[in-house]
Amino acid sequence: MHHLITFACGAGICLASASALLAQDNSSPEAQAKIEAGESVYNNNCENCHGDQLVNTGQTFDLRRLTAGDRARFDNSVRNGKNQMPPWKDVLSNEEIDQVWSYIRSKAYQK
Amino acid sequence: MKRSAFAGAMILALSGVSSLAQTSQDLKAAGGTTGDVLVYGMGYSGQRFSPLTQINKENVSRLVPVWAYSLADLQGGEGFPLVKDGVIYVTTHNATVAVDALSGKQIWRVIHEYPPETLRVVCCGIVNRGAAIYEGMIIRALMDDRLVALDSATGKEIWTAKSPDPVTHANGYAMTGAPLIVDGVVIIGVAGAEYSHRGLVEGYDAKTGKHLWRLYTIPAEGEPGSETWEGDSHQTGGGSSWVTGTYDAELDLVYWGIGNPAPWNPRARKGDNLFTNSIFAIRPKTGERVWYYQATPQDPFDYDAVQTPVIATINVDGNPRKIVMQANRSGFLYVLDAKDGRLIAANAYGKVNWADGVDRETGRPLTTDVFKGALEGRTVTVWPSVSGVTNWQHMSFSPQTGMLYINTIHVGMTYQAPEPPKLAPGKPSGAGTVKRTTVTEDPNVRGFLKAVDPLTGKSKWETPYRSPNFSSTMVTASNLVFTGVMTGEFQALDADTGKILWSFQTPSGIVGQPITWERNGKQYVTVMSGIGGVYAQRAGDPNLENLPTGVSLWTFALFDK
Ligand code: HEC
Repeated sequence: MHHLITFACGAGICLASASALLAQDNSSPEAQAKIEAGESVYNNNCENCHGDQLVNTGQTFDLRRLTAGDRARFDNSVRNGKNQMPPWKDVLSNEEIDQVWSYIRSKAYQK
Repeated sequence: MKRSAFAGAMILALSGVSSLAQTSQDLKAAGGTTGDVLVYGMGYSGQRFSPLTQINKENVSRLVPVWAYSLADLQGGEGFPLVKDGVIYVTTHNATVAVDALSGKQIWRVIHEYPPETLRVVCCGIVNRGAAIYEGMIIRALMDDRLVALDSATGKEIWTAKSPDPVTHANGYAMTGAPLIVDGVVIIGVAGAEYSHRGLVEGYDAKTGKHLWRLYTIPAEGEPGSETWEGDSHQTGGGSSWVTGTYDAELDLVYWGIGNPAPWNPRARKGDNLFTNSIFAIRPKTGERVWYYQATPQDPFDYDAVQTPVIATINVDGNPRKIVMQANRSGFLYVLDAKDGRLIAANAYGKVNWADGVDRETGRPLTTDVFKGALEGRTVTVWPSVSGVTNWQHMSFSPQTGMLYINTIHVGMTYQAPEPPKLAPGKPSGAGTVKRTTVTEDPNVRGFLKAVDPLTGKSKWETPYRSPNFSSTMVTASNLVFTGVMTGEFQALDADTGKILWSFQTPSGIVGQPITWERNGKQYVTVMSGIGGVYAQRAGDPNLENLPTGVSLWTFALFDK
C-alpha cells in the first residue's frame, strides 16, 4: 500500500485512485504516518493562511472543499501559486506535497 | 514652514488652512490637531484619544455613513488612515490610495507589485498597517522589504529603498507595519520570527530613502546578550518588530515592541533569549538602544511584546509620572518609567496561568509549573493561547478617564513542544514546531472589550464578544469608545459603562483602526472594513467561518436633519 502511493505520485490519474484508496483506509499505520507528516508540512507552511485544522474565515480557500478528483488542480496550485497563494515548487518536495494532500483529504467534507 | 508647535496647532485648528508640508514640528503637534490625523496612533503618544466631542453619547445613535470606498482587495484591511488637508491616505498590502475626505472620491491609486514568493514568509496576514506622512510625501513599507515614498498630491514615486542584506524574503523577512517618522528619520520594523530571521529595527532618511542605521534585536556572536542563547541558536533567534512604536519628544526616545524568539519550540534555546519579547527605548537619530525591558524570557508561547507602548503622564503614588504602558500578549499589563524603563506595575488583565505575577524587583515573571512543563516537553494547558490576551490590535488611553480600552482575547490552549527542529534563515520556525489545540471556557465568548486601570490591571467593565475583536480602539473626549467587530459591526460604546450605544453593519469583518477628525466644523469617524489578518486566517475560530471578504473604507458623521 505504501509502495503503491509512492509509485503513483507521478501521474494525476493514478494519484486520484491512490487517494481514493487512502480515503478508504486511513487507519493503516502507514496512512496515519503520512497524514501526520502532512500535518507537520501544513502547520509549517500553510496553517498561517489556511487556518488551524483547516478552519478559516474563507478569505483564502477552504481546503476541506477539495475532493478526491481535485489532485491535479491541487498539485498545480500548490506548485505554481495563484494570486496571493505563493508558489511552493522550489520549497516543498513532491513527497511533502503528497503528504500535505493526505492530511487535507483526511479532513475533507467529502471523503 | 518652520513654526512653533503651538502656532501650528492653532492655525490648523482655527482655520483649517493647509500647510504645504508636514514638518517634524507638525508631527510633534499631531496629538492635539483635530483637523488632520498625521501620525500612526493619532499622535506620537499612541493614545488614540481625540479631544473632539461633537459626537457624544446622546447623539451617537444618529451616526450614519457619509461614503464608502472600495479598496478592491480580499485580504485584511488593517491600515491606519492618515488625514491631511481634506485627503485620506490608506494602504493595503498592494495598494496606496488618496481619497477625498468629504466625498469619498478617489484622487489617486497606486498598485505595488511584489514577488509571489514573498508571501511564504508572511505569517500573520497579507496586510499593511499604514503609511507615514512627511513633507508632501506618503511613505510606506512593502511586503518585500522595501520602503517607497509617493508624492502626496499625485501618487508619483519620489524614492524607493530596499532594506540592505540580509533582509530578503528568502531569509525570512517581510514588512507589514507602518513606519514612524521622527525628525526626518523613517523608522521601520520587520516580521519574520516565524521564519528563523534575526530581527531588527532600522532608520532611513525621509528625504532621500538613504539607509541610516540598523539595530538588531538579537545579539551577534560575542555581543552582550549572546550568552543568553544556547549554542548558536541566536543566529536564527527571531525577535521581530512588526508593530509601530511611539515617540516622546521631551526625552527624545522612540518606544518599540520586540517580538518572540524563534523557534516557538523553546527546547533548543535555553536561556533568557535576549532581547526577544522586550520593549526598547531607541534614540531616533542614531538607532542607539537606550534601555530595554524584557517581559518574557525563554518564551515557549509566542508571547511577542510587539504591542505598541503607549505614552502618558499619570499619577503614581500621588505624583505625576511619565510612563509607557504595554498590554502584553502574555496577559500582563506593564507600566514602565518612560525615562529609564523601571518597572512601576505589571498586573494580569486577562486569564493567565503560566505565571503568578511579575517580581517588582527583578522585573521577571514568577513562572508556574505550566511554564516549566512547557520547557520540559510535557503537555500543558496554557492561558492565554499563542494569540495572547491581546495581539497587535491597539488599545487606546483616555487621559480624561485614566482608563485603557483594550480588545482582549479569552482563549487558552493545550501545548506540547516535541523534539525541536534544526533552523536555517528563512525556514519555518513557528506553529509547526509545537503541538497545540484550542481551549475555551465558553466557545461563544472568546473575547472582551475591557476598560482597564493601567496600575492594577483591573477592569471597570468588560463587554463580551463571540469572537475577539482584532480592530483597534479609539476613545474621544465625549467618552465614546469606537471599535470594530470580526463580523463587521462598527460600534460606539459608552466609555463609562461599556454599553454598546451604536452599531453599524459594514460589508466585511473589521480588523482596522478607527480614527476621528473634523472639517468645516463637522466631526467624522473613519475606519476600514475587510476581514483578514492573523486571527481570522489562523485561529480556526468556528464562529468566523465563511465570512464575506473585501476591504472598504468607511466615513461616518451625524445625520443632518
Ligand atoms: C500567504 C498565504 C498562503 C499560504 C502560506 C498558503 N496559501 Fe494556499 N491559498 C492562499 C490564497 C489567498 C488562496 C486563494 C487563491 C485565489 O484563488 O485567489 C489559496 C488557495 C489555495 C488552494 C486552492 C487553489 C485553487 O486551485 O483554487 C490550494 C489547493 C492551496 N491554497 C493550498 C495551499 C497549501 C498546500 C499550502 C502550504 C503548502 C498553502 N496553500 C499555503 C494563500 C496561502
